[in-house]
Amino acid sequence: MKGLRRATVVVLLGLSTTLLAAQRGGFQRRFMPSDEYAATGDSKHEFAWSRLRYTPLGGSFGGFGGYNRGGFASWSRDYPKADITFLAALRRLTRVDARSYQQVVDLESDAIFNFPFVYAVQVQSWTFTDQQAARLREYLLRGGFLMVDDFHGTQDWESFLRGMRMVLPADKYPIFDLADQDEIFHVLYDIGQRFQVPGEQYVNTGRTYEKDGYVAKWRAIRDDKGRIIVAICHNMHLGDAWEWADDASYPEPFASMAFRVGIDYVMYSMTH
Amino acid sequence: MFKFLFKYPLSTFSHGHFVLLAPWPTWRLWLAVAIVSAALALRLRATLPHTGFSSPPARAAAIWLLQSALAAVVLVLLWQPAVTVTELKPQQDIIAFVVDDSRSMALAGSGGTREAEAIAALHDAVGAIEQRFQTRLYRFDNHLSRVARLEEIQPTAPATRIGDSLKQLAQETDELPVGAIVLLTDGADNAGGVDAQTIAALRSRHIPVHTVGFGAEHATHDVEIDDVLVPPHALADSRVASVVRFHQYGYSGRKSKLVARDAGGVMASREVTFGADGAAQSETLLCNVGATGAKAIEFFIEPLEGEENAANNKASRVVNVDADRRRVLYVEGEPRWEYKFVRRAEEDDRLVSLVTMLRTTENKVYRQGIKDPGELADGFPTRAEALFAYHALVIGSVEATYFTPAQREFIREFVDRRGGGLLLLGGRYSLADGGWSASNLADLLPVELPAAKTTFHVEPATVELAAGGIDNSVTRLVDDPAANAKRWKTLPYLMDFQEPGTPKPGATVLADMSASGRKMPMLISENFGRGRTAVLATSGTWRWQMNLPVGDPIFSTFWQQLLRWLVAGSPGHVTALVPNQMLIDDGGVSLSAEVRGDDYQPVSDAHVEAHIIGPDGLSANIEMAPAPDSPGSFLTEWTAERPGSYLTEVIARRGDQQVGRDVLTFQRMNGVAESFHTDQNRELLTSLAAQTGGRYWHPQDLADLPDEIALSEAGVTTREARELWNMPIVLALLVLLRFSEWFLRRKWGVV
Repeated sequence: MKGLRRATVVVLLGLSTTLLAAQRGGFQRRFMPSDEYAATGDSKHEFAWSRLRYTPLGGSFGGFGGYNRGGFASWSRDYPKADITFLAALRRLTRVDARSYQQVVDLESDAIFNFPFVYAVQVQSWTFTDQQAARLREYLLRGGFLMVDDFHGTQDWESFLRGMRMVLPADKYPIFDLADQDEIFHVLYDIGQRFQVPGEQYVNTGRTYEKDGYVAKWRAIRDDKGRIIVAICHNMHLGDAWEWADDASYPEPFASMAFRVGIDYVMYSMTH
Repeated sequence: MFKFLFKYPLSTFSHGHFVLLAPWPTWRLWLAVAIVSAALALRLRATLPHTGFSSPPARAAAIWLLQSALAAVVLVLLWQPAVTVTELKPQQDIIAFVVDDSRSMALAGSGGTREAEAIAALHDAVGAIEQRFQTRLYRFDNHLSRVARLEEIQPTAPATRIGDSLKQLAQETDELPVGAIVLLTDGADNAGGVDAQTIAALRSRHIPVHTVGFGAEHATHDVEIDDVLVPPHALADSRVASVVRFHQYGYSGRKSKLVARDAGGVMASREVTFGADGAAQSETLLCNVGATGAKAIEFFIEPLEGEENAANNKASRVVNVDADRRRVLYVEGEPRWEYKFVRRAEEDDRLVSLVTMLRTTENKVYRQGIKDPGELADGFPTRAEALFAYHALVIGSVEATYFTPAQREFIREFVDRRGGGLLLLGGRYSLADGGWSASNLADLLPVELPAAKTTFHVEPATVELAAGGIDNSVTRLVDDPAANAKRWKTLPYLMDFQEPGTPKPGATVLADMSASGRKMPMLISENFGRGRTAVLATSGTWRWQMNLPVGDPIFSTFWQQLLRWLVAGSPGHVTALVPNQMLIDDGGVSLSAEVRGDDYQPVSDAHVEAHIIGPDGLSANIEMAPAPDSPGSFLTEWTAERPGSYLTEVIARRGDQQVGRDVLTFQRMNGVAESFHTDQNRELLTSLAAQTGGRYWHPQDLADLPDEIALSEAGVTTREARELWNMPIVLALLVLLRFSEWFLRRKWGVV
């Protein structure tokens, strides 16, 4: 009886792991930790695309896999293909000396301070301890830059704010809507008219929005000198656009817009 | 004794000329000496065998030499030797006694004050000399005036100008037969000595100056500030390095405190340990000059117990604190974190404006900090005038070949001619990796770049202060020098480093870095032409900002100080100068201005005017004249009559167009100079006497002065021959020679 129970646990664990891995492409490089890329000798670069590994609502801080329906490991959604594809574009289109693969950073150590640009997704599910919130606040006020993406609708916004306000209180750091003339849209590409960039679900549904996030919100939080320190991409999914940019079924204008915005944001973070 | 043996004093021989008064020519004397010597030799040879003198030839030669010498002396006496001297004519010539009555003469001498000693010496000397010559009595401080009685001389004057006073005396007595000048002083001259013109004026009239020195040649217990070197201009709220030079006697190994203060209180202070007695010592004091305007800074060393003169422990200097915004052009070849964080650091600097051009892609440049859309629209300036509008240039990760040959030449001229600052940063395309060692700009750099091409490493490197950075305003992150050195050692490691090569002779290494067990310079600077250059061999200082708590000013302070150093010395189109901004007891000021056009070539056809505003509402406009043989230089002389601060604005115009302007401040202070250099300046007095044919005297030797003073070629003179044949020394010599011969003959048995 005891042996049967042990066998059942092993089978269930194996099954769940297989399911996680099989999601969007199976055993891809997304399971490969950053250090393994470092072994290729391609680690000595000025810029590293850093993805924030946070503790999502409900736990499971550490894993990889991007399994978003169960609510855990949401920080790694679209990981790592979105990161790598975006980095390929950044390296090809600009003079940024960027590493060809992503870096995972978390709020548990001071290592994050070596990476002044951080990208976070599914931020409606992020949670912070007081210590983590303080470290992220310190990071931003010292000169770090945070770009958040891939959260949709009113409920996600409220959930995002809960975490964000632990980091930067509303009274001192209000959230602004970005205008066309804001410098962040002109550092490299002059992005005038912007449109909502949908996730991969657009291919099957034809909808550019998710949940009740009908209108793309380009927002930001500024420091006391007016410099953007948090770029908020609400009601859009730039990460998916990068990830599926090489898929013929995903419309090219969405991917192009996502790349231009992403590159401008990186450029802004390195110049302001 | 000398006079007893030689009949005349030494001065007779030193001033006179040896002559033979006999009517026969001198060659006959030498011929006679030769004949007599030969005859004596023959005679000696003829007589010796018969006398049994079988000694060695050396003994015979000795006898012959003594006989010949005796004969030669007698022959010389027959030719009537004498010394001719030029002497003053009694009661016709004037001896001028010139007494220093400056305040330093009131200091204690060996018995009473120096002035009391001088007056006592005068009593004796004047009495003896008055019997033979006319005398005149003068007093002097910064000018000369005649006095009738010794009582009129009081040591209260605030300055001593020996040269000016002697020049005045020479001019005022131009028509008078002045035979000699007797100068009684401590030699504590405030003008730095006696100029060549004055010496020439005295020498042309053959007037000897006999100097009589009073006072000790150095104090037993005293600290004195010799000089303070402070840059005449500084940017507001900047740290300025002031070098204080001083010496002391009697306090070797003791400690005191060096302080800089202004009207607002103490600006900086540090402990100093005194070196050897009399040795020149210098200490650097870094202080923040604060807000805009002319700032008088007083430097002082706290007096020690038993110090004889505390008034010379302090010195004041004026610094013009400018608020003009300086522009720095920063060219970056690729997006880098250093660029971002340097920009952020400079956003807080209200005096340095950072204009940046960043190559974001191969063909696109992103500009920030520009004045108008046209600025740098075509990339790096292609005209010298456009580049020279900036005060400093920072070049990041940019290959040397990114610039055209003409642009590289402009960069050279930017430093050399315009006087701008150039800073090169480390990076993938910087320094040796960027081909800078093969460019024509290599000699601008403070380092010999390595020959290798893979010198940039994305590896951590730790930093520490180098010896050259200990007292440097760029690397002073915290006020206390020891705490500063410690702070450098605890700074977060650099994100990357570049091998900078070897510092050139004359370069200063301000900070070092260590990586993989190797130590190498991180920040090196040097002056080049009219400007200055530096290499910061890393692009990883941004890590200081990201790895130190919010509000820690280290990163911003370092970069602001580095860029301020880079721009602070960059001159404008007009540079006004005075030799000394602190006029001590003398209001004479030589104002000069250098005028340069947009291309920083000298402008000779400008109309240059100085507008001076002084105390009590004084206002003066002075036109400055072009300096001969110095294109672009303009000069004028002016006198600040009253003590106080003087603000001077120099404006250069070409037609209706203003070429440029500059503002400087100077200050006149009275009653300060006499507290300094109070030791007897024997070197000056000896030199003055030697150059004019006089002699330096100790007061106790003045009894010989009346005899010696008569020997002068100035005034009304007579020439006299003094015979030497009857000098006692001559008789003694004759006896000695004859006796020596007799003694030797007796000893050798040939009598």
